[in-house]
Amino acid sequence: MIRLFLILLTIISSFSLPLHAQERKSEILIGLIPEENIFRQMDRYRPLGEYLTKRLNIKVRFTILSRYGDIIDRFKARGLDGAFFGAFTGVLAMERLGVEPLVRPVNLDGTSTAEGYIFVRSDSEIKSLKEMKGKTIAFVDRATATGYIFAIAFLKEHGIDNPHRYFREYYFTGSHDSALLSVLDGRADIGVAKSTIIKKRFKKEPFMEKEITIIARSVPLPDVTLCLSKGIDPSLREKIKKILLEMDRDPEGRIVLQKLEASRFISSSKEDFIPVYNLIKKAGIDLKTYRYR
Amino acid sequence: MKRRLIISLAILFLLFTAGVGVTVFYIYTVTKELETVISLHRVEIIRQNLVINAQTVQSHLYTIGTAFGSEVDVIVEHVSDLDRSVQTCMGCHHSEELRAKLQDLSNILEQYKDALSALITTTANIERIERLRLVAINLGNTLLNTAQEMAFIADQRLYAKTKSALKEINNSRIILFITLSLAFFIALTVAVIFTGQTTKSVATLINTTRELKAGRLGITASYPYKDEFRELAEAFNDMSRTLKKNHDELLLFTKRLSDLYRVTIPLYSLSEGLAYDDVAEIIKELFDADRCRIILLDNSHFRDISSKELHLHEKEVEALYLYYNKEPAIIIKETPPSIAPGLLDIVQEPLLLIWIKQQDRLSGLLMVYKKRQGGFNDTDLRIAAILSNIISVSFMNLKLMEDLKAQMKELKETQEQLIQAAKLAALGEMASNIAHELNNPLTSIIGFSELSLEETDIDTIKRDLKIIEQESLRAKEIVNQLLEFARKRSIQISDVNLNMLMKEVLQLASLQLKHENITIEERYGDIPTIKGDHNQLKQVFLNLINNAIFAMAGGGVLTIRTGKMDDGVYVDVEDTGHGIPPDILPRIFEPFFTTKKEKGTGLGLSISYRIIESHGGRIEVKSEVNKGTRFTVILPINPPS
Repeated sequence: MIRLFLILLTIISSFSLPLHAQERKSEILIGLIPEENIFRQMDRYRPLGEYLTKRLNIKVRFTILSRYGDIIDRFKARGLDGAFFGAFTGVLAMERLGVEPLVRPVNLDGTSTAEGYIFVRSDSEIKSLKEMKGKTIAFVDRATATGYIFAIAFLKEHGIDNPHRYFREYYFTGSHDSALLSVLDGRADIGVAKSTIIKKRFKKEPFMEKEITIIARSVPLPDVTLCLSKGIDPSLREKIKKILLEMDRDPEGRIVLQKLEASRFISSSKEDFIPVYNLIKKAGIDLKTYRYR
Repeated sequence: MKRRLIISLAILFLLFTAGVGVTVFYIYTVTKELETVISLHRVEIIRQNLVINAQTVQSHLYTIGTAFGSEVDVIVEHVSDLDRSVQTCMGCHHSEELRAKLQDLSNILEQYKDALSALITTTANIERIERLRLVAINLGNTLLNTAQEMAFIADQRLYAKTKSALKEINNSRIILFITLSLAFFIALTVAVIFTGQTTKSVATLINTTRELKAGRLGITASYPYKDEFRELAEAFNDMSRTLKKNHDELLLFTKRLSDLYRVTIPLYSLSEGLAYDDVAEIIKELFDADRCRIILLDNSHFRDISSKELHLHEKEVEALYLYYNKEPAIIIKETPPSIAPGLLDIVQEPLLLIWIKQQDRLSGLLMVYKKRQGGFNDTDLRIAAILSNIISVSFMNLKLMEDLKAQMKELKETQEQLIQAAKLAALGEMASNIAHELNNPLTSIIGFSELSLEETDIDTIKRDLKIIEQESLRAKEIVNQLLEFARKRSIQISDVNLNMLMKEVLQLASLQLKHENITIEERYGDIPTIKGDHNQLKQVFLNLINNAIFAMAGGGVLTIRTGKMDDGVYVDVEDTGHGIPPDILPRIFEPFFTTKKEKGTGLGLSISYRIIESHGGRIEVKSEVNKGTRFTVILPINPPS
């Protein structure tokens, strides 16, 4: 009955759409920032794309962006209609691309925010910041709040203004779980990554939790947020929002959410990003000139 | 038959089911084998895809991070395909070896994916990137090697499986062919045997039926199997035997009936015990007996018709008659009836007692003895009952006949007396005329006698005497005629000339006719002589003429006419008298009916009628009041015997 109602609603709303909007959009391309193993991430998002395609009657496709920072350039270059941004990339996109936050998924544990972790292996001699000096550190990307900015802010807070000199080597894994694996594999002594991805990985491979010790945490920051381009037709935007916000009430939607490892979508706004702005400020980053590549 | 039909159908059904089962089983086996082979081939395609995808991904590895690097999406797609290939393999393989290999492959793939992901997403110095690339390449190679190993195993398996599948298919084909051929031939054999047996059974029955129809009663059909046809054949045989038995019984019964009929012939013509011996003989034959005694009750005493002594008291016989309820009885020596001990002496062999009854009263009995084996049976008793009735009836008929004969004799005598009386009456009527007739010669005789007595002249005397003689002779003639008519005579059949007879009658009545002034017209035709009693016929016509004279008292014309007819001759006696009124015309032939009051006896016409009837002729009368009456007597030339 609900389905019938939704189908009916879809048909009615599709008729009510301006013709030019329908003609213009044959595909909606949404970028994904590589939070974790990109193949796994793609596996998580693919059902959502299919679900939205079915509901909107417009092909919805996801594309992995190989590096965090790429997202801004690629967004422009490939004419993306939106992307699931991280906290920092979200702010960056808002500032540089003028995208608007739409919704964000609520994790299975009920949170919709993530923290940044600085962690080491449990058998490591590193117990605090001072032992980190001269070690190898694996960040996620320059353009991630939980995987880099927060750590810079943390270091700055503790009087380390030039981290490049403080560590023997630092590099960017490109994804949060890669950073975790780097530490676990011994490719890096210290890792910086997002709590949600780490917890998810712990859940899948519980032995990891014992092998990792967390040294520092950030304040809660908005997790991945779907932001849409300004150019998107407002009615389509509202439609997408409505579908996403209501999909936890649709049995088919719930299956898609389950695959996505989320319980539902909640509405999101620019205000949610205030802690990120604060963090950026602490890290001494100027968004206008910040070279994230 | 029913069982055979059921068994045959069950065999056919089982064969069919077995055939279908075998077919289905082998189709299932074959398709399963084919499915396996197809799936193995499909697996081969999957494996090839897997290898191609792995190789493609591997090739991308060398360009990642360079200007020629493919889009990440492309790599993601290929890895997804690779993943799907492995998942597909995981989903269908069951062999332990392969499963383990697949698990390895899956694990390697997961590591490969991590390594790839790391390589793609990592931003670091060149050495680190190259290290990551090397790790990924090595994992990719391991993946490829594992896939190749698996392919080898799978190939071997595929080969073995294909070989075995083909062998299985071939076997199935042969088994299927054999099974179906066997089923077909068995079914055909069953059908042929069943049909053959059935048609043969039917044909046997039909032939036997035809023979039965052709008259071979009692013929039996033989049938070797114990089934419904056997029952049918037995029922048929029973019928045939029963038909024969009934037919034989019928023949026997017919023969006995025929014998019975033969018995009845002499019985119907029984006259005064003359055929008793014949009857006894036929009864003996009828019952296939040795002896037959006929015992009749004669003046309260039982008398054997062969005059042998019968040692039975009449009372004993009566007691037996009542004891056996007036029905025929079989008596055997072993169980003699206690009520007639006298019977014991005469019963040496089985004895059949048949009662002869007269209006329910015992009038005699038949004793039939049979020494021969078997004695008498119920049929004999039934025939005896019929015989008893026939003999009783014929004996009664005999008695009735005898009574009738006696009565007839009496009647005849009475009739004769009546005829005589009528004749005398007729004479009486003529008496005065006769007297007158006689008177004339007598007067002449007396007169001439007196004259002769006084006459002396001998010549005159002689002449007178001559006249006297003549007159005497005339008187004598008259008397003779009267005597001749009046004389009581038995019937004498002779040739009669009716023309002559009529003249004689007219002569007898001439005086009366003259006296009554009646003119006579005689018209005799040329008629043949007939056989008849002259005297009786004369009486008839004298009667008719007397009646005519009576009708024409005072004058008239009497016409006598004779002539020939087809079946004899006729004589008309016609007068011109007062006629007979129509109301009394039908009664004129009744005895004692007269219109002459005291002058007539009322017997004349009735006697005449009887006489003519006895001559096989008839009298017809036609009368008109005041005009006249005509009697026509028609007589055959030969009266019936």
